[in-house]
Amino acid sequence: MSAARVWIATIAALAAFAANAQTGKPSDLADLSLEELANLEITSVSRRAERLSDAPASVFVITGDDIRRSGATSIPEALRLAPNLEVARVDAHQYAISARGFNNTIANKLLVLIDGRTVYTPLFSGVFWDAQDTLLEDVDRIEVISGPGATLWGANAVNGVINVITRRAAETQGTLLVAGAGNLERGAAARQGGKLGTDGAFRVYGKISDRDHTSRANGTSVPDSWDSGQAGFRADWGTAAGAFTLQGDAYRGTIDQATAGDIRISGGNLLARWARQLAGGDRVQVQTYFDNTAREIPGTFEERLNIFDVEFQHALRAGSQHSVIWGGGYRRADDHVSNTAAIAFLPADRNLRWGNLFVQDEIALRGDQLRLTLGTKAQSNPYTRTEFLPSARIAWKPDASRLVWSALSRAVRAPARLDRELFVPGQPPFFVLAGGPDFRSEISNVLELGYRAQPSRRASYSVTLFHSVHDHLRSLEPGPAGPVIGNEMEGKTTGIEAWGSLQVAERWRLSAGLLVLDQNLRLKPGSGDTMGVAAAGNDPKHQWSLRSSLDLPGRQEFDVMLRHVGPLPSPAVPGYTALDARYAWHFERGLEVALIAQNLFDRSHPEFGAAATRSEIERGLFLKLRWSL
Amino acid sequence: MAPISALAQVDRTAAETQIKAAFLYKFSGFVEWPPKVFARPDSPFTIGVIGADELAAELEQIVKGRTVLERAVVVRRMRRGESVAGIQMLFIGQAEGARLAEILANAKGQSVLTVTESEDALSHGSMINFVFVDDKVRFDVALPQAERGALKISARLLAVARKVVTSS
Repeated sequence: MSAARVWIATIAALAAFAANAQTGKPSDLADLSLEELANLEITSVSRRAERLSDAPASVFVITGDDIRRSGATSIPEALRLAPNLEVARVDAHQYAISARGFNNTIANKLLVLIDGRTVYTPLFSGVFWDAQDTLLEDVDRIEVISGPGATLWGANAVNGVINVITRRAAETQGTLLVAGAGNLERGAAARQGGKLGTDGAFRVYGKISDRDHTSRANGTSVPDSWDSGQAGFRADWGTAAGAFTLQGDAYRGTIDQATAGDIRISGGNLLARWARQLAGGDRVQVQTYFDNTAREIPGTFEERLNIFDVEFQHALRAGSQHSVIWGGGYRRADDHVSNTAAIAFLPADRNLRWGNLFVQDEIALRGDQLRLTLGTKAQSNPYTRTEFLPSARIAWKPDASRLVWSALSRAVRAPARLDRELFVPGQPPFFVLAGGPDFRSEISNVLELGYRAQPSRRASYSVTLFHSVHDHLRSLEPGPAGPVIGNEMEGKTTGIEAWGSLQVAERWRLSAGLLVLDQNLRLKPGSGDTMGVAAAGNDPKHQWSLRSSLDLPGRQEFDVMLRHVGPLPSPAVPGYTALDARYAWHFERGLEVALIAQNLFDRSHPEFGAAATRSEIERGLFLKLRWSL
Repeated sequence: MAPISALAQVDRTAAETQIKAAFLYKFSGFVEWPPKVFARPDSPFTIGVIGADELAAELEQIVKGRTVLERAVVVRRMRRGESVAGIQMLFIGQAEGARLAEILANAKGQSVLTVTESEDALSHGSMINFVFVDDKVRFDVALPQAERGALKISARLLAVARKVVTSS
C-alpha cells in the first residue's frame, strides 16, 4: 500500500468517523457544491493532511497561507509561527534561533534547508540568517522538526531540522507584485511565471528591502541598518513519474557597522534535482548544488566559501512489510578566510569534505497500526572518525485519529571550523581564545514520546515529551596562553512541546502553542572552564503563543498573534509578551492590501543579549500590497 | 529531501486527488447524456479511469452508496486501448502523458464526458481539463467537443469553470 493510499484510507476512515460522530450522515468533499469545491484551497486541505501525518516525530508545518497571514517579511520572522522553535531577534539583521535549548547567535544544533540545500555554514555549524532569503509568497510550507533528524538529514540535526520548501513553478504562474512600507522597513518584490514547452514551467523573481537601524534601551542608536537584494529562478519539468528541477538564487546585502566600513554579504547558488518513479513504486532522486557565499566584515574577518554537494536516495518496498529508504551524499567546501589582527581562522584556507551513507527501514508490524522505523547514518567529517547516527522509532495508530509514537536517537554535532581553528587575537599568543586541536563531536542521546490526535474534524493537537542527555559539549579549558576550546560540559534537557488548533467556526480558527524547557548543564569534574554553562545558550524556561485567524465578510481577514517568551537567565533578558495583528482587504483582480502591526504592547523590548550592548526590538507598522495578475 | 517532505508532498497530491474525484462525481449532475448511452434501464452509470489509480480508489469511496441519474455508479479502472463502450465519463490521468491524444482520439465523437488534468488537453479533444490555480483545483471546459458527443453541459457548471472554450 503506498503512502498516498494509506493517507486516503485514513481520510476516508476519518470522514466516516467524523460523520458518525457529528452529523450521522456522510459529509465529505462530494457533498460540497461545485462552487465550494472550486474555492477549496489545497493549503487548508493539506493542513488537515499534516495534522494526520503519520510521521513519528515532533513536526510542525508552517503553511504558505500561515506566512501570508502572519505578515512576516523574512524567514526568521515566519519561524516565530512554529511553537517548537525559539526565535529571538538580536538586532536589525541577526537572530538567535534554536529548538530544545542551546539558543545563541552561534546556535549550532539545527539543520536548515531551503529547497533541499543545506544553508548552515561549516564555519560554526550555524546559520547566518541575514543571508537566507527567498520570495516568501512562493514558499509552499516550512516544516519544522524538533528533535534529532540526524539519521536521514545529517550530523547537524541534533535539536531539529528546518525545511523551507518553495512551490513548484507550475503553481506560481503569472505576475505577482508585492510592495510594502513601514516605520522600520520597506521592501518590494516581483515574480513572473510562465510555461516551458508542454510539460515545463518556470518563474523568475527579484526583491529588494531595507531595514532601519535599531536602538538601545537608552535611545542610543545601533549602527546596523541593512539593505539587501535578491533575484532567483526555478524551473520544473515533467510529472510525478519523472521530474527535473533547476533553480538558483543570487543575493547581496550591505549592513552598517560601528567601525571600519560596511559589512558586505553576497552569494549565489544553483541546484538541480532529478526524481523518477520506477516500476513497482520505487523512487530515486539525485540532487546536486553549488553554493557560493562571501562575507566581508571589515576589521574582523572576510570569508569566501564555495560548497559543492551531491546526494542520492532510493525509496523502495521490500515485501509487504518493509519500506526502505537508503542513500548517500558527498559534500565539499572550499573555505577561504582573510584574517585580521582581531581574530583568525588557522589555517586560513581549508578544504573540507563530508560523506555519508544512510539506510532506514519502516516495518509494518501490524498493518498500519504499529510501525517500527529503524535507521542509521554513517557520516565522515573532516575532523573526527566516522560518526554513527542511529535511531529507532515506533508509532502506534489505534485508529485514524490518534497516533502515539516514541523515538530513541543518537545525534552528533560534528566539529566546525570554529571549534578547532578559531584564534583570538589573530596572532600568538592567543590569550583570549584558541581552537581545540582535540575538540571532538558533541553527542546527544534523546528519548521522545509523542501523542497526536484529531478528536473531531475541527480540532487537533500534538504533545511531545523529550529528554536529552548530552555529553562532550563545548567548554573553554585552560591552555598555555589562554582558554582552549574543549569538550568538558555535559547535561540534560527535558521539555514539553505542545500545540493545537481549533476551527471554531467555518471562518474562525484558533491555534495555540506551548514550550516548556528544563535545561541542566554542568561542567565535568576536572574542567577548568571559567565561562560557565551560560556560554552554551540562553533559553527561556517557557514560551507560549495564541493565534486567531478570522475571515470577515467582504473578503477581509483579521489575524492576531499573542506570544509570550519567558525571561532568559544569563545574560538576563526580561520575559516579554508581544501582540501582532494584521487586517487585510481583498479587492478585485487579485489585489490584497494588508496593514500589519508588530509588538503592539510596548514601544520596544529586548529579545536577546546583554543589557549594555543589546538592541531593542521596536513596535512596527507595515502596509503591504500584494497584487497577483 | 527525506521522508517527511516526501510525505507532505504525497499529502498535498492526495488532497488534490480527493478534490478532483469529488468534482468528477459532481460533474455527473450537471451534464445531460443522450438516453441511448444506457443499454438497459438498470445499466449503471460508469466512470472509466485511466492512469490514475489513486483517484480511482478515492472515487470508489465517494460513489459507494450513491446514485447518479437514479442509477448505481461503477468506477472502472481501464487500460489504454480498452473500448469506451458503456462508459459515460472517462478520466485520463497525467501519468498517461504523451498517450493522452491517442486515448482522446479513441473517445472522440462518442457520448463520453472526457476529463483530463494535462496542459493543452482541450486542444487534443478533452471536454473538461483540471488546472491548478492559486492553490485551488479549477477546470476549463471545451464546448465544441462536448457538443460533438451530444452532451449538454449545464450553465451552472460553465459558471464555475475558469475558462470556457466555445469555438474549436
